[in-house]
Parts: sequence; structure tokens; C-alpha cells
Amino acid sequence: MTTENRRGHPVRRRDVIKSGAALVGGAALPGALASQASAAPSGTLVVAAPATPQSLDSNFDVSLGTFEAIAALYDNLLEFKKIPDPKRAGAFREDIADHPDMPAGLAVQGKLAQSFELDPAGKFIRFQLRPGVKSNWGNELTAEDVKWTWDRKFGLKAIGAFYLSTLGLDKPEGVKVEGKYTVSINLDNPNPLLAKLQPNLYAPIYDSTKCKEVATADDPWARKFIENNSAGFGPYRLDQLQRGQQAVFKARPDYYLGKPAMDTVIFREVPTSATRASLLQGGAVDIAQYLQPLEIMKLRDQKDVAVDSVDSSFMIWLELNAKIEPFGNPKVRQAMNFAFPQEQVLKTVFQGLAGPLNGCMPNIYAGFTDKFWKYKYDPAMAKALLKEAGLASGFKTSLAYNAGDPVQEPIAILYQTALRDIGVELELKKVPAATFYNAVSERKQPMIFYVDSPWCPDVGYSMTLYFNSDSFVNYSNYKNEEVDKLIKDTSHTNDQKARLEMMTKAQDIVMSEAPWVFIAYPGYHFARRANLKGFTYYTSNNIRFQDFTRDA
Amino acid sequence: MSVGTHSGPAASGTRPTAGGDAPWRRRLRFFLAVLRARPSFALGYAIVVGVIVIAALAPWIVPFDPMTADPAVYLLPPGGRHLLGTDGAGMDIFSRVLYAPRVDLTIAVTGTLVSAVIGGAIGAVVGYYEGQRAWRRALSTFVMRSADVLQAFPVFVFAIALVAVFGQSVKSIVIAIAFVNVPIYLRLTRSQVLSIRQLRYVEAAYVAGASDLAILWRHVIPNAIAPLVAQLSINIGWSVLLTAGLSFVGAGVVAPTPEWGSMIAMGFQNIVTGQWWPSVFPGIALGLTVFGFALVGASIEVLADPARRRVLSGSLG
Amino acid sequence: MLLLRYIARRVVFVVPQLFGIVLVSFFLVKLIPGDPAVMMLGPTASAQSLAELRDRMGFTKPLLQQFTRYVTDVAHGDLGTSWQTTRPVTEDLFQRFPATLELITFGLLLAVAIGFPLGVAAARLKRGPVRKFADYYGLLAGAMPDFWLALVLIFIFYTVLGWIPAPLGRIDMAVLPPPTITGSLVIDSLIAGDWEALRSSLGHLALPVLTLGVINAGPILKMTQSMTERTLSSDFVRYAEMCGLPRRLVLRQAVRAALPSVVTIISVLYGFLIGGAVLVEMVFSWGGAGQYAVQGVLNADLNPVLGFVLFSAVLSLVIYLVVDLIYFALDPRLRS
Repeated sequence: MTTENRRGHPVRRRDVIKSGAALVGGAALPGALASQASAAPSGTLVVAAPATPQSLDSNFDVSLGTFEAIAALYDNLLEFKKIPDPKRAGAFREDIADHPDMPAGLAVQGKLAQSFELDPAGKFIRFQLRPGVKSNWGNELTAEDVKWTWDRKFGLKAIGAFYLSTLGLDKPEGVKVEGKYTVSINLDNPNPLLAKLQPNLYAPIYDSTKCKEVATADDPWARKFIENNSAGFGPYRLDQLQRGQQAVFKARPDYYLGKPAMDTVIFREVPTSATRASLLQGGAVDIAQYLQPLEIMKLRDQKDVAVDSVDSSFMIWLELNAKIEPFGNPKVRQAMNFAFPQEQVLKTVFQGLAGPLNGCMPNIYAGFTDKFWKYKYDPAMAKALLKEAGLASGFKTSLAYNAGDPVQEPIAILYQTALRDIGVELELKKVPAATFYNAVSERKQPMIFYVDSPWCPDVGYSMTLYFNSDSFVNYSNYKNEEVDKLIKDTSHTNDQKARLEMMTKAQDIVMSEAPWVFIAYPGYHFARRANLKGFTYYTSNNIRFQDFTRDA
Repeated sequence: MSVGTHSGPAASGTRPTAGGDAPWRRRLRFFLAVLRARPSFALGYAIVVGVIVIAALAPWIVPFDPMTADPAVYLLPPGGRHLLGTDGAGMDIFSRVLYAPRVDLTIAVTGTLVSAVIGGAIGAVVGYYEGQRAWRRALSTFVMRSADVLQAFPVFVFAIALVAVFGQSVKSIVIAIAFVNVPIYLRLTRSQVLSIRQLRYVEAAYVAGASDLAILWRHVIPNAIAPLVAQLSINIGWSVLLTAGLSFVGAGVVAPTPEWGSMIAMGFQNIVTGQWWPSVFPGIALGLTVFGFALVGASIEVLADPARRRVLSGSLG
Repeated sequence: MLLLRYIARRVVFVVPQLFGIVLVSFFLVKLIPGDPAVMMLGPTASAQSLAELRDRMGFTKPLLQQFTRYVTDVAHGDLGTSWQTTRPVTEDLFQRFPATLELITFGLLLAVAIGFPLGVAAARLKRGPVRKFADYYGLLAGAMPDFWLALVLIFIFYTVLGWIPAPLGRIDMAVLPPPTITGSLVIDSLIAGDWEALRSSLGHLALPVLTLGVINAGPILKMTQSMTERTLSSDFVRYAEMCGLPRRLVLRQAVRAALPSVVTIISVLYGFLIGGAVLVEMVFSWGGAGQYAVQGVLNADLNPVLGFVLFSAVLSLVIYLVVDLIYFALDPRLRS
């Protein structure tokens, strides 16, 4: 052994190990590490969300994180009036009931629009915009912005196209600029949703001046810009967006309704609901979104935490693909419903926090009826129906579920066991969260979960989404000509009474043909710090940061 | 049989020793003496045998069907009829823990054996041909560099990618495990063969005119096997961990197949809300099983290495 | 100089190896089912825009051509974009790799701190409680699933005792991270003198490092023990003992001779953990590179996976080179 070696490594190595140990050892004192959540200044709102916004372009993105962003950055022409929530003191909700005595039959009021005029025949609507409203880029709101927004829907199609077809608006000329602050939408045929669609989360108004500035020949509708920035008239501006980490919104002092109470909003991505719940419990966040039933139950007992449970437009169900046998046969679909242990699922997986899905549209919308519900758990009935369908010996099929939604796997397993009783062998397929929506829209699975809510609180709108054979969202491939006709007629008249009658009939048909396995109304459970006030429920199931204030 | 690796004169298995004992009985007594002296080895064998027995007898000894979900017993804590409690789909955890080795062991053993056979065969050929002239040297260099490339892959990501390609099934997990383990056996066999082929008796066989294949098969491989077997045992344990890891990520077995990793994954969400039993018990079972296999592997290492066996039998007195 | 020539030779070999890695991983990853165009544009995209995108990205061209294109891109430093984060993969990886490296470096440091002394002690003491404990621990540690241990630790130290901050990420949400110099939050906070950030990042490191350290100490312990045992019974040590050298000195020589194998296993563990710490990363929402790659595979986001494989392969090769250099320094026999 030469002298160089002895002088060499042993010392260095030991030093490294020692200093490493000191670092870790010294910090291992209990309590020293649980950093006290530094009390965020009272004007800062911290939200733990499942995901940050992917794209900020409401024409293309329907991912979870985008909703809150759009709600903060953009404003609509109209909004629903707010009323206190009947089930939860201190919470508010939109007044979406039919009010035949009010203009447009709805409790809407102007937002970006100061006032509006709706054609009694339902063929046009005219808006008088509020003067002096500035965007986050300092540009004033004019009728040109509204026109550009609607032209963009024509230009880019995608989600915009959906709104166009829902209104029956088939040419850009239908949107007319009639003055600096006056704009109208004109249709060839009457449409009942002209006013009702305006408060929709995905009908925001863009700052066309800014957008035209950043548009290029390749990108005339400013797609690249809108994807990552905001150009709108909403109460917040986008301060920072790090996808996968967090988004930061800052209140606009020049917002036309006054600066919101929450000056800074940190929208943080926390993929696991258990972590979101613990962050809320520990005080590190003010709001924890989308928690599991068990977590909600646990939080309800906590002192500084409150959970606002309100009725919502959410529904969770299983699509039965009518194009894949044996689900083309309504008897088989009915059997699948009779074999589903709905009550038990509600009691265990949902911990009693959800209501039974006993209709095919949200039960908070006018026109909903549950009188056609007949699928109480009855395996004997299910077996009899299968026999009638010629499948007395049962059959094999598969159910795809979302790996990212923790309630789906237990429900799938419970259903699998229950189905054995009627001779149906169910194979379970786990699909990763990011690709789940593709699996749904591909329509290649015989059975697949779906959680959704129709945002527009209208019976015709809700029914057309899922049961119109042309609808993009009709993932069960359901086709019934009479229902199609009823839906079509409903969308072409302003007569609310007639529409309610027609849609009642449609619900009758749909419920007996059972294109879905009806699971639950999960409700909306808003978990927050006890001193956070102002929660308002919107049918688009997002929160608006501008609603919140904090008690001392 | 060849000399050099047995502690006595070339025992052909039929010649009785002076004490009138058959050699197999002698070896058995030695083995038992070892187990008594090293209780950790005994523990390892007990665990492995126990797990195999449980896996084989599971359908008859479990109190509940491991894949039947009973919502009436949703997330019950351990105790009473459900010894280890129930999980978030109402399935009995005890039954599932007992059933899981059927899946886990099958996958791990199959995958490991496949990789050992393939890797061992390739490694033996490579080791034998290495350094020789022309195409043989080129072949062995090529194989070794390919093994380098394979081993440079992040194992876990590679395994998940393989499962993603072949679809989620037991077969694809076996393929994934086999793939990631082949280089290990390849290298091990190669280094063993490299040292063995220097030995005199191999040279003798070569001079006597035996073909390469015959030499490999009759002389080289039997003597190279011992470290392989030790590695096998350790590898099986490690493969069970890999299977569990894959299931935890969602690239493993299909729900609700009872498998320790996927059970831990199913219970993951519940740990923070305080229901610890769906995840903890399968983890304990998993760790114990892998531990058992590691102990068995360690014992084989000692027993197969003549130097260490000498030390051991010396200490037995 | 001999050293430089050695390094140069090794680097030359690295290039074909890297090429082989890219080749295998590219074709493997292309086999993963899932239409990337649909993933990127979403299901509301029209058939026309899908076709356009496929054309632009070159998905319709033959595989070999796609491969050449990818390799040329890589040679220019372009690893493509991830459709999930919508950012270039290079950016994503530069952000995430330091997180992983910080985690596994501290984890291995702890593992060495636990495993090495225990291994030496176990080799020295043939019997006794220390030996027994070391024997069992060495095997048990390697047998535990790391994700399970992480969950158990979270349950004990967070849910029940509340000693550790919420298992999310590397630093408390309310605390501003220090300016990035090395990418390691601990080092950067030390450099910046930011004690709050230091405390927060150490707190968040505590459980994951504990998990990795406890588990990886096992193999280190076993290797140290067996190699030290071997050298302790070797000729030169016997000779030293016979010459009457003090016990401690003899031990030091023996340990020194056992070092190369210990260094080997540490390096193997390090290389393994780059992709192997992914489960711990996921449990703690660490935001590391392994987690990024796994999400990529599961969601058919190909570029992150390829980028990660490349990065980690390069890292492994660098580690092995460094290790071989350490061998040079440790073992005089190699130098001649």
C-alpha cells in the first residue's frame, strides 16, 4: 500500500458520509419539520385541484383544470340570479328554475350585457353591452368582441360548433353588430336556448382587439395565444401557468364589478385526493376539490373544515353500447339495470353522499321526472328478462373503468359479483386517466363508465346531448326515431309548456329502453376551510374565485 | 460428474461410506445440521415452503371467495369473521392475501425460470466462445454489448412499456420479467463458464474429441449451475416485488385478481383516511415471502460454494 | 496520459451503446397502442385536423424514417414535446431530473450510512445480537416493497403522529423555492441562506429518503459484510495479524480491500434508482423524472419515455465511468 492511497480516499469518503448523516440526522427532530403552514395573507386563496389547466382555450379543452380558469379569466353576457341553497345554509346557487313571469322565462340578469331583448318568437336576441368595461389588456368591450367570439366558433368548429348547432345558428352573418355596444344573434328558426345558453361557462367573450393583434396568417383565431394566455373581461388575469404544477391568478383592480376579495389565487395540482384532503385539514390550502366519499365523511368531523354538500347536475352511469351485442336488445339492457345493486353502492362506495340516478337527466332541472324509474334491484327479474332475450345461460362482456376515479373500481367489482348471480361474466378493464376520455369517445367498449353533467339547465339540452342519435356525446349509440323527433321539435319552439310535455314523453321512452345502467347523482361536495364564505354552485360544476370572502 | 466441486472423493452416488450411510442420507443430515445451526436458513425454507403450500391449497382453505364483493361488509376493520378486515369493495382481505401467491408466485417463478434458461444458455455459449477466433468472438462481443444495452434500460419503465405493448395480462408480466432478468443470468453464466473452461477436465474432454455442445452440456453447465440456483431464488423474490410494483402502478394484473401489489394499490387511498388494513397486510405478506426467498438464496449460496461450506461445516463442530 | 486515454476509449464505446438504446426503445415505444394524434388534439378534433397532425408529426411515414428523424432531432438536442404537459421534453426533464437525483442521492447516502457500518460490524462479530440483527435486516430490507414502506411511514408519521408535512412534492406550497443553481433544493437553499426553504425541503425529503435509505441499506450491508468477511479471511490479512498489527489497522486494510465491491453495488443501486425510485416518487408526488416516464408509458405519451430512457442511460453510463475511475484510485493493481 503506497502512501498516496492512505492519504487518499478513506478520509474523503468518511467525511462525505458524516456530513450527509449530520444533515439528515439533525433535521430528524420530530416536529421540527412539519412546517407550520405559513398563514397565507387573507387575500390569497389556495386551491388543491386534481389537475392544472391543459389548454385555456374553451373551444378545445374540456379537462378538469380548465373550467376554473375560464370562470376566472372570462365573463359572459348574461348570468343566472343567485339564490340561497335550500339544502345548505350559507351556500348559494344559480336560480335555474322556470320563471314564466320574467323576461325570457328565466331568472337571468345582465353581466357584460347591461340589458337584453329577447324575441318572443325566439328568433333573435339583442344585447346592449355595458360601456367602459375593460379587458385585462386594457381594451374596451364592444359589439365587435362579441362578433369575433362567435365568428371564432365558426372558424374553428370543435366545441364552438356544438354551440352553433345547439342554437341552430348556421352562418356567421347571423351575429350582427348594430352599434358600438349593440349586437344581436339572429336565427332562421326559433330556438328556446338563445338566452339560456349565454351564462354557459363555455360561452365567454374574448377581447378581439388583443386577439387580432397576436393573430398571424397561419393562426387567424389566435389559438396559440389563447391556449396559454387570457384575453377577456373576467375578474382575474393569468399571472403564471406551470402545467402539472400550478396556475396563479391575480385579481384585476379595474374589473367592472369591483376588485374581487381574493387578490391572489394559487391553483395547485395535487393528483391524489387523499393528499388534497390532508392539505385542507392541515390548513395548507383553503379548498380541496373532488374528494372521495370517505375523505368527505372524515372531514365533516373536523373543526376548522366545512363541507358544503349540494345537489348538482352531475350524473354517473354506465354506457351500454347499443352497437355491441348483446346490448342492442333493450331487454338485456333492462336486465343489466335490474341486476345492479344500486342501493348498496350508494350506501357503501358513496357513503350515503349520493342520490340514486332514477332518471336520465339532472334532477335539478325543470322538466325532470322520476316517475318512469322502475329498476329497483331485482335479480330474479333480470334473469327472467335475459331468458326472454334468449340469453338464459348468460353471456360474457367487459366493463372499462377510469383508473383515476377511485369510486369506479369498487363499483365495478361490486357489479361483477352481482352479475354472477344472473349468469353474466364481467371482465374488468382498467384505463389510465389521461386516456380514459378517448376510450369513451371511441365507442369500442361494450360497457364503460361515464361521469358528466349537462351544463345548460334545460330539459331539451340535457336530452339531446345523450339521446339524440346525432349527438357527439351519445356514447351509448342510442337511437330511437321517436325520441329524435321529440328532441328536434323541442329545440325548434319557444313554448316551454309544450317542450316540457314532449320531453316528458322522451324520458318515458328512454327510461324504458335503458341505454344506461343508472348509478347515481353524486352531488357536489365542496370542501373548504370553515372561515371561507361565499360558495356558489354553478351547473357547470366549477367554482368562481370571485365569489369568495374570508371571515376574520 | 467431475472432480473439483465436491468435498469428498468423486462420489458417484452408489458407493456407501465407511459408516454404512448412503451419501444422500449423509447430505440430508448435513443439510439438517446446517438448518439447526443457522436458524435463519431454516426460517427461509419454512417461509418458502409455507407460501407454496398456501398457494397450492388456497382454494380449499380460504374462508371467503377472494373475488366476491359483499357490500354489506364494506371496509370492515380486522377482527371477527374477517380476520384481516375487508377492503373498499367488500372483499375479504385474509382470503385475498392467501390467494395472492398463486398469481404472484406463478408469474415470478415462470418469468425467472424462462429468463434463467434463456440467459443461462446464451451466457454459457458466449462464455465458452469468448476470446476464440473469428466469428465466435464477434458473436460473443455482440451479445455482450446487447446485454449492456438491455441492462442500461431503467428496469421498471422498461417493464411497464412491455406490459403496455402486450396488453395487461399475466402473460405480458411474465414476458416483462423474463426480459429484464435475462442479462443477469447471461452475465452470471458467462463468468462462471469463463472460469470453468480453464479447468483441466474441460481441456481433457476437448482433447479427447468431445464436441463443443457435449462439453458444454456434460461438463461446463452442471458445474456452473450452483450460483445460478442461488440467484434464482433471490430473483424470484425480486420478481414478486416487480409484479407488485407493476400492479401498484396499474400495469399489472386485472382487477379484482388477488395480487399483493394491486391490493396495496387499492388500499392506497384509504391509508390517509385511516383504513390501514387493506394495504398493510398484503405488504407484510409480500415482504415476508420475498424475505423467505432471499434467505433460501443465501443458504444455497453458502451450501454451493465449497469454500463457504467448509467454513460452515467447520463451525458445526 | 493514461487516464485520459482510458476515458476517451470509454466515451467512444458509449456512442454505439447509446445508439443501441435509442434504437430498442424507439421501436418498443412505438409498439405501445394508442393514437398520439387523438391524444394531442382531444376527441373533439375533426378527422381532417387529426390527419393533418399525423402528417405533420410524421406518424404516417415508415418506421425507419420516423426513427432517422427522431435521431437527427436528438442529435440537435430536440427530444420532442409531451402532449400531457405541452412542453418540450428537454425542459420537462431538466426540471424533473434534479428532483429525482436529489432524492436518490440523499437516499443512498442514508443507505450507506446505515448499511456500511452495520456490514463491517457484522463481518467482524461472528456472533452476537449485532450480527443477528444485521443478517436479518440485510435480507428483510431488500424484501420490503418500497411503495408499501412509504405508505406505512406516511401513515405513522403523518396521519397518526403529524410530525411530517403533507406528502406532496419537495417543498411546502407556501414557501418560495430558492433560486435554482444545482437543482437540489437543499443545496440551493444552503447556498442562498434561505433557512425556511431549507427546513421545508428537508422536511419533505425526510420520509422518501428514509424509505429509500432503509430499503437500499440492505444490499449495501450484505455486500459490505460478505466482502469484508472474505478479505478478513484472506492471506494478506492473516499475514498482517501474524505480524502483530493492531486489530483496528487490520480491519481498515480489510475494509479498504472490500471497497471496490461496495462501490460497485452503490453504483448499481444508483443506476437502478434513477428509474427504480418511481414508485416512491409517485407515493410522495415528488415530480421526479421516473414518475414522468411512467405517466408517459401509461398514457401513450411517447416522447417523455424516450427522452427519459436516453437521459437515464447516459447518466448510468456516466456513473459507471466514474465508478471505474474510482476503482483506479482505490485499487493500485489496476493502475499498472
